[in-house]
Amino acid sequence: MNTLTHLFTQTFFAFGLFVVSYYILVNIYYLFIHVLALLELRDDVRESRWDPPFRQFASPFYPGIGVVVPAYNEAATIVESVQSMLSLNYPEVEIVVVNDGSTDDTLERLVENFDLERIDADIPIDVPAEQIHGVYRSTRYEELLVVDKENGGKSDALNAGIWLTEMELFCAVDSDTIIDRNALLQLVRPFLEHPKTAVASGGVIRIANECTIEGGNVKSVALPKTGLPGLQVMEYLRAFYSGRLGLNRINGLILISGAFGLFRTDVVQEIGGYRHDTITEDFDIVVRLHRYLTDVGREYSVDFVPEPVAWTEVPSTRRMLGRQRRRWYRGMVETVVTNRRMLFNRKYGRVGSIVFPLFVAAETLGPLIEGLGYIILPLAWYFGLLSVEFFFIFFVLTTGFGVFLSWFGVFSEVWSFNRYDSPWQILRLLWYGVLENFGYRQWKTVVAWQGLVEYLKGVETWGAMERTGFKTEED
Amino acid sequence: MASSISAFGYTVPLVVVLVLLALVVGLALVVMFWLTTIWSIYRSVQDTRRDQVRDDLQDELLERMFDPDAEWRPWVSSLSSVERDVVESLLDEYIRELDGQDVDQLQELGRELGIPEHSKRQLGKREEYTRLAALTWLTLLADPESLHATDFEPRTPRERAAVARLRWESDDLDTAVEGISILLDDATTQFTVFGQDTLYRIATEDPQALFQMAATHYDAWSQSLLVQVLTVCEHVGTNVTEEDISWLTAMLEHDDEVVRESAAGALKNIGWRDDLRAGRYTDRLLTDPSPRVRSAVYEMLARWGDDQALSKLTAALEFEENDRARLTGTNALVEHEDELLDRTHRTLGGAWAWSQEHVAYDRAARNETMNT
Repeated sequence: MNTLTHLFTQTFFAFGLFVVSYYILVNIYYLFIHVLALLELRDDVRESRWDPPFRQFASPFYPGIGVVVPAYNEAATIVESVQSMLSLNYPEVEIVVVNDGSTDDTLERLVENFDLERIDADIPIDVPAEQIHGVYRSTRYEELLVVDKENGGKSDALNAGIWLTEMELFCAVDSDTIIDRNALLQLVRPFLEHPKTAVASGGVIRIANECTIEGGNVKSVALPKTGLPGLQVMEYLRAFYSGRLGLNRINGLILISGAFGLFRTDVVQEIGGYRHDTITEDFDIVVRLHRYLTDVGREYSVDFVPEPVAWTEVPSTRRMLGRQRRRWYRGMVETVVTNRRMLFNRKYGRVGSIVFPLFVAAETLGPLIEGLGYIILPLAWYFGLLSVEFFFIFFVLTTGFGVFLSWFGVFSEVWSFNRYDSPWQILRLLWYGVLENFGYRQWKTVVAWQGLVEYLKGVETWGAMERTGFKTEED
Repeated sequence: MASSISAFGYTVPLVVVLVLLALVVGLALVVMFWLTTIWSIYRSVQDTRRDQVRDDLQDELLERMFDPDAEWRPWVSSLSSVERDVVESLLDEYIRELDGQDVDQLQELGRELGIPEHSKRQLGKREEYTRLAALTWLTLLADPESLHATDFEPRTPRERAAVARLRWESDDLDTAVEGISILLDDATTQFTVFGQDTLYRIATEDPQALFQMAATHYDAWSQSLLVQVLTVCEHVGTNVTEEDISWLTAMLEHDDEVVRESAAGALKNIGWRDDLRAGRYTDRLLTDPSPRVRSAVYEMLARWGDDQALSKLTAALEFEENDRARLTGTNALVEHEDELLDRTHRTLGGAWAWSQEHVAYDRAARNETMNT
């Protein structure tokens, strides 16, 4: 019995030491990334204030962009989304909507609202996607192309669009996403600055719940009033804004949101397009681009541009959010496992030797270790192994630092593009930064464990997102 | 778990270390909270003050702009600093959108606001974007004299482009060669799209100047700059009558497919030149191993558009094995649909039918847009 107690005590102490060391490492990484984000933001703000004196629309040198919009049962929002995309300010744009075997009237709504007619000719190129039932052109909008195909998932739909667009660049956009009218002009900037090396760029995703949308454009920006979407605003600011800015500073961006990213079409075709057997295709494609371009010895850059904004509706119930986050977690594990050769591999530069390993430590293992802690701590307390004093201070420290990083994200927002321009909204954001540490953060660790179990069981479902549609002025 | 930490001969209880760390984090939180809140309030107050005066200032500016007797000076001298700031941003917005006499009026307003003097000072700053902003203002105000009054020398490709643009927009260049030299002399690295567009605008006035410069300098350029210049050559027009294009045809044999592709693009507009047509480039290019290059050659032949070129193109497309290259070819060829024999339908298969239908929809949508 004594031996067993001794073993448990030693295990607990070892785990405690591991957790503290891990905590220090991960938080130094986060702090480092956030400081880099501030430097990057300073440069980006300066750059964005310079508007060169020429008429962009009259210039023949802007690369054409195919906006590829996969749509599955999006009848509620598809017309407004396409209208929003047709009103984008960009010299040469093609909107390719891919109806991925919707069972609702997504296609019918498109045909009816945009005067679509089916092309009689067969598609003269091989498209690596599920069977295409028809390609439609509009008699009113020259730049609109609609592809109707058998259901094959988001990656499959994206591939159909990428192979059917003839544009040099393509922008992957979720159909429920509203893009700022000038966003493409901003997002294309890395390709204009570095035409030879830029292969991908990502913009900022913001949350549209409670924002007022009119004519496919965001008329007024408001912070969600309810808890879950509000907490997600905070989370998006910290992880998707500050975090990506910091990684961009060291050319270590490994994730561009699937809701809004711009890619060089031929390079993505070269790597075979999006993989069908992944559920987080946005993460997978960027990691594969890093891997492929390093393997072939080509100079390249993947950039994050903080000003162009795409607005998306986020889950407002715990059930839907849980489903989304479990899927994200499963996909992350799957991409990490698939590309494990890159880990600690100096051949892949900073991405392989620093960014990817730290990403795995912080984002993949982090929630699991934290979740484990929530089980072990009560046990340790029960067996009298836990110093309550130590635990209390450690909790205050970890929570305090978490709040600090969240507030850092809010500060970056206020200091730069300041979309939430009312101080009351900022105060509410700061409050969400505190609130997320009590309940939400712990719940996410449970979701991560569930996601891991689903991954191990081989679950491959996407799960449907129920959308309520955007708020309009009439609402 | 260890209850203390030892280092450099000192032992400190772990709890003390943690408490100290907690205090540091607490202090950082307090600083971050107040910094964020105060900055947010500051920006909100500033935005509100600007919003309050914007509409009135906009009305007054437009009124004065269309009043031939109005003078800017008394109005400008009555403005507060916030109002001046708002007027500057309105000026920046309108001066980019308007043409003709309205612009003259707005340039006068810019001078009354003291922008040239301010820009001259900004040209001496260390920050590149500050200098670029100053050059941009001088361009919008068509004021190259302010630039000449300083000892400013462009240091980066962006600055070279901004200076060339300023002098071109202000008719301050003696010849196009001068503008092209500002952009390309000693240049080795690529431009941004602004620089490329500036080169294009200047070279459009004298394409020969660009071709001459390229013929003597191209081997010193980086590959990406070379591709950019070739792309500009593609757009500058057909007025290249007797200039040496041997450098351009030499690029058709370059190792890099992107350069070969761009060179084929650059030859699109000068297909009428006998020395080009006499060469046997096209036969070799039609069997280029790169589908990208073959696609560019198909577009080049379609642009040439004479019987010989179209017949070469049709024959090449019959044997083209790359789907995408064939589609590019039929897309280009379909513009000459009326000049082709009926047999083209059979020999080019599905790609031809596809291109035909798409072109028909393009035309229908364009007509619809024109009618509405």
